[in-house]
Amino acid sequence: MEVFLSSDEEDYYYYSDRDDALEGLDVEEDSYCQPKSVASCQVITKESLLIAQREELHRVMDLLKLSEQHARTLLIYHRWDAEKLIAVLVEKGKDQLFAEAGVSMVEQKVDFSLQSSSTIMCNICMDDIPAKEVTTMDCGHCFCNNCWTEHFIVKIHDGQSRRIRCMAHKCNAICDEAVVRNLVSARHPDLAEKFERFLLESYIEDNRKVKWCPRVPHCGNAIRVVDDKFCEVECACGLQFCFSCSSEAHSPCSCMMWELWTKKCKDESETVNWMTVNTKPCPKCYKPVEKNGGCNLVSCICGQPFCWLCGGATGRDHTWSTISGHSCGRYKEDHEEKSECAKRDLYRYMHYHNRYKAHTDSFKLETKLKETIEIKISILESRESTLKDFTWLTNGLNRLFRSRRVLSYSYPFAYYMFGEDLFWGEMSKEDRELKQNLFEDQQQQLEANVERLSKFIEEPFESYAEEKVMEIRMQVINLSVVVDKLCKKMYECIENDLLGSHQSTIHNIAPYQSKGIEKASELSPCWISKADDSDAFLQSVSNIQGGTTEPGWPSSSPNLNGNGCSSRKRARKALGDGLFDLNLPA
Amino acid sequence: MVDFARVQKELADCNRDMAISGVSIMLHGNGNDLSHLSGTITGPLATPYEGGTFQIDIRLPEGYPFEPPKMQFVTKVWHPNISSQNGAICLDILKDQWSPALTLKTALLSLQALLSAPEPDDPQDAVVAQQYLRDYQTFMGTARYWTETFAKRSSIGTEEKVQKLL
Repeated sequence: MEVFLSSDEEDYYYYSDRDDALEGLDVEEDSYCQPKSVASCQVITKESLLIAQREELHRVMDLLKLSEQHARTLLIYHRWDAEKLIAVLVEKGKDQLFAEAGVSMVEQKVDFSLQSSSTIMCNICMDDIPAKEVTTMDCGHCFCNNCWTEHFIVKIHDGQSRRIRCMAHKCNAICDEAVVRNLVSARHPDLAEKFERFLLESYIEDNRKVKWCPRVPHCGNAIRVVDDKFCEVECACGLQFCFSCSSEAHSPCSCMMWELWTKKCKDESETVNWMTVNTKPCPKCYKPVEKNGGCNLVSCICGQPFCWLCGGATGRDHTWSTISGHSCGRYKEDHEEKSECAKRDLYRYMHYHNRYKAHTDSFKLETKLKETIEIKISILESRESTLKDFTWLTNGLNRLFRSRRVLSYSYPFAYYMFGEDLFWGEMSKEDRELKQNLFEDQQQQLEANVERLSKFIEEPFESYAEEKVMEIRMQVINLSVVVDKLCKKMYECIENDLLGSHQSTIHNIAPYQSKGIEKASELSPCWISKADDSDAFLQSVSNIQGGTTEPGWPSSSPNLNGNGCSSRKRARKALGDGLFDLNLPA
Repeated sequence: MVDFARVQKELADCNRDMAISGVSIMLHGNGNDLSHLSGTITGPLATPYEGGTFQIDIRLPEGYPFEPPKMQFVTKVWHPNISSQNGAICLDILKDQWSPALTLKTALLSLQALLSAPEPDDPQDAVVAQQYLRDYQTFMGTARYWTETFAKRSSIGTEEKVQKLL
């Protein structure tokens, strides 16, 4: 992630120092094509799942001279965190590491199956079983194959495939996966396959650095990040999501803010809140009634009069101070205050929500722009003109999408940053006002420039004279740079001036990525050559991988970049490097 | 399918030394359903449950012995880990710590041990657990009273059944 930001910065300074924006653009084009040193997220497909975990497995196997299954047991216990596993090894020693995880290696294992003539009493079914029909686990406990099989089946159905313990009471040992596989497949081949799958998928489910892509219906992929779990990623299927909370990409909102916000938008709790304070249900028809003035005798649209103070049904006759046949408790002062508060909160929420919604809507409308722009480009291309390169337009469009997202999510951020829900007690009134002004200035600047960019891109320039098109081109190029710079500044402001001063670490915000949300790269098989065994197998796996993903690419990756249409190969490579800005609306 | 052959063996084994162990198992309501049983444990000495006989309803799930038996006190009992309302039991070996190598007898013996050594920090019945922790004397009194009232009335009936089985 750091690499990303710093290279951006260079780009930007380089850019702004340039007088001739055209030259600058070409330079940026080149930088797109340079492969990045380390991809910070990778996509793990069904086919590459095995390869993905091999690195960790081999590391532990080599270090401790273990079989693959024991290494797996250790890693599952330590949630695939090899660093932590090694730390435990150093701190507590090999024996304890093994004991805690349930790896047991009894040196002199009594092999009952050799004494073929005898029978052995199985402690589970309590029958005498011929010695060739029993199995002794690594922990030394011996039961009959039938009982083992039953036990495995129950545990697999129970969702405990990853840690099937020995049947003996208080034995912590994990059963040999080869034994489980063999015994179960003899009776239920399907279930044995499932077991295998569950075991493999532990790498995804029990692993902090790997997450399933949250697409519905499921695309079958998972994403692995290298070190920062607070980031936004794009799966090979095209879905962009927040790695930390698996919801849509929402920075600069923190996950908690986003969760609160979506909940708030969903249940309209503010409206409900306002209604409970400002209306009373009619005692007859139960519709909410709002008092629009006058005395405390209210009549509902259904004709039923009732007392506004207590909500009880009354007669019709009344004076300004009394209602016939009715008396209730006196006017309560805090009632008025509560109603004022609810009103104010609702208006505040509406303010932020309206703006959030406006940008989200623009974002959706601008999706159509993509097609219009493509048409415009083809018209311009067919013209006799010196202008042949239209990357400025696609780049500008991508910049617009990117910044529009940032802008729309900046509103829920501001709602929570300066509202009562999260930080109220942590800032003084003056402090908050100061920060709010600082933030809103930046937000407004960004907003103004995003709108300008949008305006220029939407202009019908395909019918303009070349001179005019060149003018628009300059504007788009300049605004793209300005908008990018403003987004970056806003994130810096959030990180340093707004959140930086607070103790709480729960509001981690995915960093601004100038080039858009990073696409997860295909798992690179380069290190696999180090693995000594099953080269042929790996070869076949990667073949499958290539075979299944390739046809999916054209549809899953919108080819908006200028060269994408003509050269798919090149686009794909670049996508793999995660350097293309294609943050189009999903 | 419940492993009925094993259940038969378990019953025989358990009832062989019931006089010493203080636990016994028979078919529920003298029926012939091997998956619905009725266990009996005697209250441990030097506890407020001393002298009482406690009935436990035992149902064997399909997967027995690979899944734990379902046990519930029929006799009302005042104990932090047993619901005073419905006799539900909070005991690890009846849940995730069950092992197929355990038997109904060992489970009943564990219940007996639970009566001797309540674990109020992991309660089933919050009211009883509160009383146990805050007012131990009252707890002892109530538990003793419940034993007198609920666990001794049926003792004659139980003994008759025991005689029959012997």
